[in-house]
Amino acid sequence: MLEIANVRAGYGAINILWDVSISVPTGQLTTIIGPNGAGKTTLLRAIMGLVPLSQGSIRLNGEPLDGSSTWSMLERGVAMIPEGRMIFKDMTIEENLMLGAFPKAQRASAQANCEKAYAMFPRLSERRTQLAGTLSGGEAQMLAMARGLMSDPKLLIIDEPSLGLAPVVVNELFEILARLKAEGRTIVLVEQNTHKAVGVADHVHLMQSGKVVLSKPAAEVSLEALHELYFAH
Amino acid sequence: MSELILQALYSGVLQGGSYALIALGLALVFGTMKVINLAHGELVLLAAYMAYTVESRLGLSPMFAIPVALVLVCITAVLVYFLVSLIRKDRELNSLILTYGIGIILTNAVLLIWSADVRSTSSSWMQDALVFGPFYSMRSEVLFFVVSVALMGGLWWWLSKSWYGRAVRAVSSNRDAAKLMGINPRSTEIVSFIVAGILASFAGVAIFSYGVIQPAFGHVLTVKAFIITVLAGIGSIPGVMVGALLLGIAEALTVTLASSALQELVGMSLFLLVLFVMPNGLFGAAGRRG
Repeated sequence: MLEIANVRAGYGAINILWDVSISVPTGQLTTIIGPNGAGKTTLLRAIMGLVPLSQGSIRLNGEPLDGSSTWSMLERGVAMIPEGRMIFKDMTIEENLMLGAFPKAQRASAQANCEKAYAMFPRLSERRTQLAGTLSGGEAQMLAMARGLMSDPKLLIIDEPSLGLAPVVVNELFEILARLKAEGRTIVLVEQNTHKAVGVADHVHLMQSGKVVLSKPAAEVSLEALHELYFAH
Repeated sequence: MSELILQALYSGVLQGGSYALIALGLALVFGTMKVINLAHGELVLLAAYMAYTVESRLGLSPMFAIPVALVLVCITAVLVYFLVSLIRKDRELNSLILTYGIGIILTNAVLLIWSADVRSTSSSWMQDALVFGPFYSMRSEVLFFVVSVALMGGLWWWLSKSWYGRAVRAVSSNRDAAKLMGINPRSTEIVSFIVAGILASFAGVAIFSYGVIQPAFGHVLTVKAFIITVLAGIGSIPGVMVGALLLGIAEALTVTLASSALQELVGMSLFLLVLFVMPNGLFGAAGRRG
């Protein structure tokens, strides 16, 4: 579904990604793991058009994405649940959700998708008129997930969902990821929680210093070998 | 004495309505674009002079100037937007210089076209007294206060219920997140300038209908709007409304109890006081903007 080929990208004069190539197959969960500063988030931001490419190409269903605007991605069926949730703190939970269905084509089904989101995340339903800034970290992550699902995306890109959350909430989160996967969505998951991420994934890519150092089907990945690679440098 | 104070409070609240319209425009544009439009008061002034022209040339009530003012002011506002959007580097700082310059050009254009004379309405319908119990005012003051409240209600509805209004708030709150929601921030920026222009048009016609105008007045209005936004705490829309009432009341009390020469000073004193005591403004959450 998504083909990333020889991508170089960075911020101004500082290059972060060095010839990254990753292929994301339809209907499967691809996880990208790696230590802090490996370029995982930069790669996701490059896919979404928030960081310009200096080399290489990203194709979605065969169509090149180069230079297309971030705000056109939702219409193309790609939604991102960003690192640090990025919820709109001074807006209510319901307003946050509705913004997830902002593109014109989504607005007709917004109300129905909103109810679906409440069914999946009942705690949000109880608090629909509260300001999003009053939510706990776990609830804020659930809101970010629910908002990302409002446009019923074909490809869901999730950046570090478990960051800063209690283990109980992390378990809950990965149960939801497994459910989304079972629904047949294509998912790209960036995680620091290697153990959990590999557990739910079909494909694993390990990034280090802006390069992909390992790409394997999840079934063939041994956690020990992964940890050795992880801490090798 | 207490009657005088009550009367000052009443006048202050009425005046606060127009101040709120002006300050809301400034705050909206700052929210989406992080640009303080120092030519904002001149947009209001332009509308006020349109009201003067319609009254003096066509002999009509200033109210009839509203459609013309809306078109002219919104076009000027969009023009300011395009000039500001041409800035590539350090937009937050450079836009201050640019919009200040646009303000000077507009002031001088007004001076050229309408001369430096002080103008006010000659419509007796507007100036007729309207008395509610102990409260006295001109009819135009009450009329435009009602219009201001209606416009603020409309703005509130638009910001909280409409797709585009919510997009404007989303861009103000977190620009990158808004882009991920499929919102093009440039179009919300234009929309916020147009809405600011609409509010400025009504405020300008209001100010001509109950007060006096002269070409240098635009600058004074910009400063007032800026004071109100800082009083409110940048980013707080209800705060702007309360801040506008506060400034209106403070000015009216000063004029009643001390001297009208001190009217502009009291706003500035309030501004400094708030900056020292509550740097986030009266309603701004601590660290709202990081």
